[in-house]
Amino acid sequence: MPLSDLLKLSGIAIVLIGLAFRLRPTLVVVTAALVTGVASGLPLFSAAGKTGIVDMLGKGFADNRLMTLFIITLPAIGLAERYGLQQQSAVWIRRIHAATAGRLSALYQLFRVVVGALGLRLGGHASFVRPLILPMAIGATEAKGGKAPEQSIERIKAAAAASENYGNFYGQNLAPVQAGILLVYGVMKGLGYTVSLWELVKYTVPVVAVSLVLGFIQFELLDRGIRRGSKESQ
Amino acid sequence: MIDAIFSLETIYILTGLVLLVFSFITFRDRTNPHRLASAVFWLLLGGIFGLGGVIPNWLTGILVLALVALDGAGRVGRGRDQPDKAKQDRQADRLRNRIFAPVLTIPLVTFAFAIGFRVMGSDASRGALLGLGFGGLAAMVVALKVTQGTVRELMHAGNQLNETMGTVNILPQLLAALGVIFTAAGVGDVIAGFIQQILPGNNLFLLILANCLGMTLFTIVMGNSFAAFPVIATGVLVPLIIRPFGVDPAMAAIITLTAGSSGTLMTPMAANFNIVPAALLNLRDRYGVIKFQLPFAIAIWSFHVILLWVLAK
Repeated sequence: MPLSDLLKLSGIAIVLIGLAFRLRPTLVVVTAALVTGVASGLPLFSAAGKTGIVDMLGKGFADNRLMTLFIITLPAIGLAERYGLQQQSAVWIRRIHAATAGRLSALYQLFRVVVGALGLRLGGHASFVRPLILPMAIGATEAKGGKAPEQSIERIKAAAAASENYGNFYGQNLAPVQAGILLVYGVMKGLGYTVSLWELVKYTVPVVAVSLVLGFIQFELLDRGIRRGSKESQ
Repeated sequence: MIDAIFSLETIYILTGLVLLVFSFITFRDRTNPHRLASAVFWLLLGGIFGLGGVIPNWLTGILVLALVALDGAGRVGRGRDQPDKAKQDRQADRLRNRIFAPVLTIPLVTFAFAIGFRVMGSDASRGALLGLGFGGLAAMVVALKVTQGTVRELMHAGNQLNETMGTVNILPQLLAALGVIFTAAGVGDVIAGFIQQILPGNNLFLLILANCLGMTLFTIVMGNSFAAFPVIATGVLVPLIIRPFGVDPAMAAIITLTAGSSGTLMTPMAANFNIVPAALLNLRDRYGVIKFQLPFAIAIWSFHVILLWVLAK
C-alpha cells in the first residue's frame, strides 16, 4: 500500500486508539477529522476551489442537527419525572401481572418493527424508551421482587435501549420508502443493476423474523437473570 | 409562510432557544464547579442550532472546534441539584395517570405529523422529525397544565436532564462530520482496495464471509452501515460476488446492508444508537448498551452469512 494511502487511514487509527484508552470522545473524533484531512492534503479553510477541513466540519455538524433534536423533549420529560412519572408507571404496571422487563422489551421491539413497516421513522430512545418503556420495565420488576438490585437495573436499562435498536435497524427495511432500501437501490443502480424495491423488501423478511426470535430469547434470559438476582439479594 | 413554519429550520431555532435557556440556568447555578465555561458550551451549541442554516460553514466549524476545546479541557460540568424522591411520591398520588399525558404527547404528535405528511403526499420522514420538535413543544404545554408547575421549574427540570447527559449529546453530529471528511479524503477507496488485495479469488463461501466481515468492520469504524455500504458494494460485493457468480443482486445487496447492522450494534462510533441512549437512561457503564447487544449482534451476523450463502448457491 502506498504511503499516501496509509496516511489517509491515520484518522481511523486515532479513533481506535482514542476510544480504547477512553479519552474524551469529542476530542478524539475532531482530532481524527483534522489529521485525516491534513494527511490527505486538504486545506484547513476553503481556498483555490478546494473545500477546507473546518468548512466540512461545520457543514457536516450543521446538516446533522436533526440527530440532536431530542433536546427539545427534555423539559417536558424532566418535569413529568419531577412530578412522579416513574412512580406512577410502577403503580400502573403492578396491575398487569404478566408484565416483566423482558416481555415489555420484546413487545416494544415488535412495536418498532410495525412502525418501521409502516414507513415511519420515529426517534425512539428519547420519545418512547426513556419516558415510557424504561419506567414500565423497572416498575414491573419492582412490583414482583421489591427493590431491584443495581445490577438488574443496569441490565434492564441496556435491554430497553437495545430493543429500540433491534426493532429499528431490521424493521425499517420492510418499507420500500425507507432510507436503507433507497440507499441500496441507488448504489446498485449506480453500479449497473436496477433492482426492484419490493425484491429488497422480500429478502428482508427472514432477517426480521430471526431478529424477533433472537430478541425474544435474549429478553427471556434477562427475565430469568432478574428473578435469580432478586432471590439472591433477599 | 406555512412552509416556513413547518420547516426543519423552525424546529432547530426552537431547540436553539431551549439551549439558550439551559445556558442561562447553568450560568446562574452556583453548585456547578465550571458554571461559566459550561454556560458558554450550551450557548455556543444553541447558537449553532439556531443559526447553523444561515452562518458560513467555516464559522460553524470554528464554533464546533470551540465546543470540543471546552469539553476537551474538562471545563463542562453539572450542578448538584438532586431530585426530591418524597415529593415525587406525593405528586404521583395526586396526579395519578394524568402524569402520562405530557410524555404520550411526544409520540402522538410525532405520529400525527408523519401520517399527515404521508397523506398529503409529502415526505413522512420529515414529518416525523417536525412532529418530534413540535411534540416536544406541545408536551411542555401539557406538562405545565397537568402538573400546575411553573415555566421556571419546567426549564430547570430539562436542564437537569441535559446536564446528566452532558457533552456526549454532540457526538453523533461530530461523527457525521467525520464521515464527510473521510469521504472527501477517499478513506473508503483505500479500504476497498485493501480488501480486494487479500481476498481469495474463487471460493464463494469465503468471499461471502469476507464480504460480510468487511461490511461489519467498516461499519464499526464508520459507526454507520449506510456509509459503509457504498464502499463494500463497489469494492467487494459487485466485482467479486455478484458479477462472477451471477448472484441475485437485490438479495445479496440487502443482506449485505443488514449484515452491517451487526457492526452498528457493536460500535461506540454509532453514538446516537449506543452511547447517547446509555447517557439518556443513566447507565453507569457507557458501553452497557453495546455489551448487552454483543451476543445478539454475533448471532444475527452468523445468520446473515449462512442466509446469503444458501441463497447464492
